[in-house]
Amino acid sequence: MLFPTVQFAIFFPIVLAISWWLMPKPKAWKPFILFASYVFYASAGWRFIFLLAAVTVANQLAAVMVHRADTERRRKLIVTIAVGFDLGLLGIFKYYSFFVQQWADALGSLGLSPGLPLLTIALPVGISFFTFQAISYVVDVKRGHVEPASSIDFAVYLSFFPHLIAGPIVRAREFLPQLKRPRDPNRVAVSSGLALVAFGLVKKVVIADYLARELVEPVFAVPHAYGAPDVILAAYGFAAEIYCDFSGYTDIAIGLALLLGYVFPQNFRSPYRSTGFRDFWRRWHMTLSRFLRDDLYIPLGGNRKGRLMTYRNLMITMVLGGLWHGAAWTFVLWGTFNGLGLVAEHAWGGRVALPGWLRWFVTFNLIVFGWVLFRAQSLADFGALMSRLTVFTAPTLWTIPVLAMIVLVVGLQLLPPDWVERLQVRIESARPLLLGVGLAVVIAFVAATVPSQGVPPFIYFRF
Amino acid sequence: MAEPREDNYMNRFDRAGLRRFRAREGVIAIAVAAIILILTAGPSIRKAGEEMNPGIGRDIVLGVGRPSTWVARKLPFVGISTAATSWLNPEPNLSGPGGFANPKTLAASGAVPPVTPAAFEPATLGEAEPARVPLHTLLVTGDSMSEPLDNDLAEVLIPKGVHVIQEPHIGTGISTTFVVNWGTLSAHQVKSDHPEAIVVFIGANDGFPMTGPEGKEVACCSSSWAAIYADRVRQIMNTYRQDGVAHVYWLTLPAPRDPERRKIARVVNAAITVAAQPWVSQVQIIDTVPIFTPGFEYRDSMTVKGKPTLVRQADGIHLNEAGSSLLAGTVLQAIGRNYTY
Repeated sequence: MLFPTVQFAIFFPIVLAISWWLMPKPKAWKPFILFASYVFYASAGWRFIFLLAAVTVANQLAAVMVHRADTERRRKLIVTIAVGFDLGLLGIFKYYSFFVQQWADALGSLGLSPGLPLLTIALPVGISFFTFQAISYVVDVKRGHVEPASSIDFAVYLSFFPHLIAGPIVRAREFLPQLKRPRDPNRVAVSSGLALVAFGLVKKVVIADYLARELVEPVFAVPHAYGAPDVILAAYGFAAEIYCDFSGYTDIAIGLALLLGYVFPQNFRSPYRSTGFRDFWRRWHMTLSRFLRDDLYIPLGGNRKGRLMTYRNLMITMVLGGLWHGAAWTFVLWGTFNGLGLVAEHAWGGRVALPGWLRWFVTFNLIVFGWVLFRAQSLADFGALMSRLTVFTAPTLWTIPVLAMIVLVVGLQLLPPDWVERLQVRIESARPLLLGVGLAVVIAFVAATVPSQGVPPFIYFRF
Repeated sequence: MAEPREDNYMNRFDRAGLRRFRAREGVIAIAVAAIILILTAGPSIRKAGEEMNPGIGRDIVLGVGRPSTWVARKLPFVGISTAATSWLNPEPNLSGPGGFANPKTLAASGAVPPVTPAAFEPATLGEAEPARVPLHTLLVTGDSMSEPLDNDLAEVLIPKGVHVIQEPHIGTGISTTFVVNWGTLSAHQVKSDHPEAIVVFIGANDGFPMTGPEGKEVACCSSSWAAIYADRVRQIMNTYRQDGVAHVYWLTLPAPRDPERRKIARVVNAAITVAAQPWVSQVQIIDTVPIFTPGFEYRDSMTVKGKPTLVRQADGIHLNEAGSSLLAGTVLQAIGRNYTY
């Protein structure tokens, strides 16, 4: 069930109404919201609810055992087993086919058989997100940041439908305290929620899907059909598309959570105004960045073990971060590229004084280059795209709506943050009834732009 | 440009002086939005339900959509809303000729259809193949099965100067006309693009009940259903072949993993083969079954160029890049028998 669908438009108002009716009675509300979340998840494939349930039970068990363990060694062992279980599931469902195919190719070239069945395995939606949240919970318990939650609280935390499919990756210590206190029905961020849902719909359906349809998909599907001007525009177009697609999803997720009375962490903060790679990763998919930082980079040693180890840790973190996005060499290279960017910044940071606009210009264009790697369907396609940069033909996809959307998406992020936030706050301060009418008008206009095949899934649903 | 504070992710709303309201106002606001949408777009809810696969989700959406449609049609708001937003519709206007003829009309014509020379492959008569002609325009179309085959064909043919039109219509089917009526769509494609060669790969979403000659709904997958399906396919093939000017390359479905879908795919394939019979020299069936799923048994991988290779996507329906690339080679061979490029 995608957010921008009729099914969800029927599902959510019912859940919202019952949720607020039950909110004063947490003993009834929690099973209800858990049931609603499982129904939401089952709509993508009912078999996978058993997987979600298994991850919930295993990690809750681990958290309780970690809390009760009397030695650090035992705690470490339990966490290792729990994290191994989560990563093992992720590995089987997400990476098995990829690695077995690479293995078969490598052995095949030596005339050997791979010895493992070459199978495709259906990827459960959202597995990358809920396994990371489960890991973050067990690790937080081990570090003493949170007490083990009750089983029902943990199950709600892991499966809460606004963030179940594609994040944001909410930390246990951000969500569980909210669950402990029943939400106050007289203090709900109704207008913010409604406004965010409307913003998200416009970003996703009007901007991201339009850019994908009219510019990005044609060029990335058949690079040979286009010359340098179209390939370059498609690269900038994809930068705008992926931002609007993912931040649009996040806006809707945060908005829905607000309407239900919960606050999620932010996931984006004008990423295209970054003046360096480190800055970019503090603004783009912020909840993944901090997960990688806290649960991978720092445990690896962070920057505490000398320059070379810092570089190594950065590279490991970013390569694995790239691989997290999908089982393909393009993602590995994209992670490597970002890792190299961070290493270069560490190595030369502060030694070369560049004006702010130049740092922005260089960073932005390098990030866009990275997106080409990310979006290319294969390394061969990436090579084809690069080779087309030397072919100068007349542009065929440079239309005013496409150009206007790219300029708008990037330009708005370059405005002083206060301006945008002030405008947003102003909209969010309107009366809920007015915003309800506004939301209906937005949905009506947004729906009119949807082609016959419907709204394409969010890009991050695949991850 | 100021650096954002790193761990300050949770308080953006309170920092900005968030205005809070009563939950009841939120529920009322959402209810108002829902009522406005029912009044202005009620029939769309029903249409969305009709496009869904049978199941509880469809029943629920139709349960809301039917009364919404009834209410919306009593009031003038649907027309106003359509007039205000129709300019945003990205789809081409498909009004015009085409559409599927009623099976009853086809059956009632009475006359025995004449056999034409197009029903014979020259080779089976011992005749020489007609001379190949240059290919200028190729249309690759179908449902999601036609992706990424369309890209693979385009990658080969575009550098050789062929105009390749890629037109997948995801989520569509020949047995359902809710999203797209392939009878109308094929007529529109021919009229607007005049392709000389057409590659069609469709059927993954099929299996919907269709109206039979008696006016009753016929459920998949009886011989009656197969006959109605074949009638529709034949109409589309006839449109694409453009009175023998064009060649059509219609691909059968490789067996899907899911046994229920496999039943449908088997019937779809049988119907496609029957449908092409009047024009076998112009409508060529490219059978994917022996390539990917011999004996109609599903498999994820096969040997390609001496190496074990995954050829299916994880959904057990579609071909992956490697499978599609392999299939593209077969399709190009078939096209190469009629055209130079």
